Amino acid sequence: MGLDVNSIRSEFPILNRKLPNGKKLVYFDNAATSQKPQCVIDAMSRYYEEYNSNAHRANHTLADEATSALENARRTISSYFGTSPEQLIYTSGATEAINLVAFSWARENLSKGDVIVLTEMEHHADIVPWQQLSKDMGVEIRYVPINIENYFLDMAAFEIAVKDASLVCVVHTSNVLGIRNPVEEIIQMSHDSGAKVLIDCAQGAPHEQINFDDSECDFIAISAHKMAGPTGIGCLLVRKDAMEEMGPFMTGGSMIKSVTTKGSTFQEGHAMFETGTPRIAEAIGWGAAVEWLSQYDMEEVHSHIQEIASWTAEKMKNIEGITIYGDPKKSNSSGAVSFLHATIQSQDLALLLDEGGFAVRTGHHCAQPLMDALGVPSTNRISFWIYNTMDEAKSFVEHLEYVVKRFS
Amino acid sequence: MEQRKWPKKLDPIVDEFAECFDSMERYELLFQYAKKNPSPLPIEDWSDSNQVHGCQSRAHVSCEIDENGRFLMRGGADAQIVQGLMSITALAVNGMSPDEVSQMSPDFTDAMGLKSTLTPSRSNGFLNMFNRVKEHAKNLK
Repeated sequence: MGLDVNSIRSEFPILNRKLPNGKKLVYFDNAATSQKPQCVIDAMSRYYEEYNSNAHRANHTLADEATSALENARRTISSYFGTSPEQLIYTSGATEAINLVAFSWARENLSKGDVIVLTEMEHHADIVPWQQLSKDMGVEIRYVPINIENYFLDMAAFEIAVKDASLVCVVHTSNVLGIRNPVEEIIQMSHDSGAKVLIDCAQGAPHEQINFDDSECDFIAISAHKMAGPTGIGCLLVRKDAMEEMGPFMTGGSMIKSVTTKGSTFQEGHAMFETGTPRIAEAIGWGAAVEWLSQYDMEEVHSHIQEIASWTAEKMKNIEGITIYGDPKKSNSSGAVSFLHATIQSQDLALLLDEGGFAVRTGHHCAQPLMDALGVPSTNRISFWIYNTMDEAKSFVEHLEYVVKRFS
Repeated sequence: MEQRKWPKKLDPIVDEFAECFDSMERYELLFQYAKKNPSPLPIEDWSDSNQVHGCQSRAHVSCEIDENGRFLMRGGADAQIVQGLMSITALAVNGMSPDEVSQMSPDFTDAMGLKSTLTPSRSNGFLNMFNRVKEHAKNLK
């Protein structure tokens, strides 16, 4: 049985809104952030309306309820990602999760001359923390190029780069190209070389079932807001042995065992890295999002998205002047379709598409090294998710054809 | 009757935009004005120092006092909508005194029906470009 997309759409109030020009919203910017179902909005509202309190700090009823909800969410989310609650550190998102690895693990375990392997496909969130580390500590960064003929990582170059590496940081799925990297092979090859592996799953988690324990990956970074959850929360999943090698990142309340005027001692496990008042409402919202998403078979979800993306990209290729970057026809492509028009500049095109009600991303997508490799300063990008329909894709192609005819 | 806070020479342009049937027609008109830039800044003169920041497309502005002592703005952008707005701004400010330019308001874009297109959060840089021209005018007084 296929997905009942109409029923799914009815759970997302925002999808019914009209834009100021009267056009119906067609939301194709899902790789930037997904929309939220009513159950997520309700779960967060309920927390504020009924049991808003600080967690892990008091023994009154509300504090107990807030603490239970926060930790129940951790159990729900970690279980969804195939691991135990002890391995999940709440962060503000994938960016903070990657920075946490840079500060807590890399600064404790790497030294001058050690090698970190990145790829040209990385989001800035998985480049800049390592460049800063390189500046501060003298670690060497090696970038694995992409093959611009087929947009895949050059795995022969990876094989060379990973030799003697201490850490490998690779994006699961490119936010620009929608390409899903061979992360299983990357994890295996990295471990064979003695390197730890961090996979940036910000784009991967909304599109396939991530199983952390089975992956044998050392670190996985995830953002909630791209998978029906709220903004402001994500997590770092960490293997037990890697967590034992991590030092404190942000210090202050919550993460301490005791503080005296002479010094402090710290909590162990994930508590050491969750400083200050936790993101309680956001964790509860993410837990609700994960429960909501759990009712669907992610392979079925992905197949629905991929069918729309593949059809749309093929139609777009027939529009004069349009170039597609990536390979949306590939079955494991995420549903992100990056494109440019030969004469209508990307910013102009985005505004002209917005006039038709289509929310489309424009810019370098926080992936400037990839833009350099592609030889373009920016692209337009449409990206689909569970609630998008083929009818929306058809109306998009029609509007794009109209815009190109009128403005090129 | 609404009070017009822009130079009289802009009136026909403002009216032309205000009479457009819809936003697509306004954008089409901006594309046409992009081709009518009275004082373009050639791409070879685009530099870090004259780049307008806060704009997702590339936009550059340079201002000077011409031989008659009047304000002269040169501009260039890779996006046609920004380029069109630059053309209209140049048509407005070129020939004014720097003092007049420094006191000018960008309200004419509201009257043209472009307000929602030009919000700062859209990062298309019009207001940054306009403020930069005014800043130049203050410095050239």
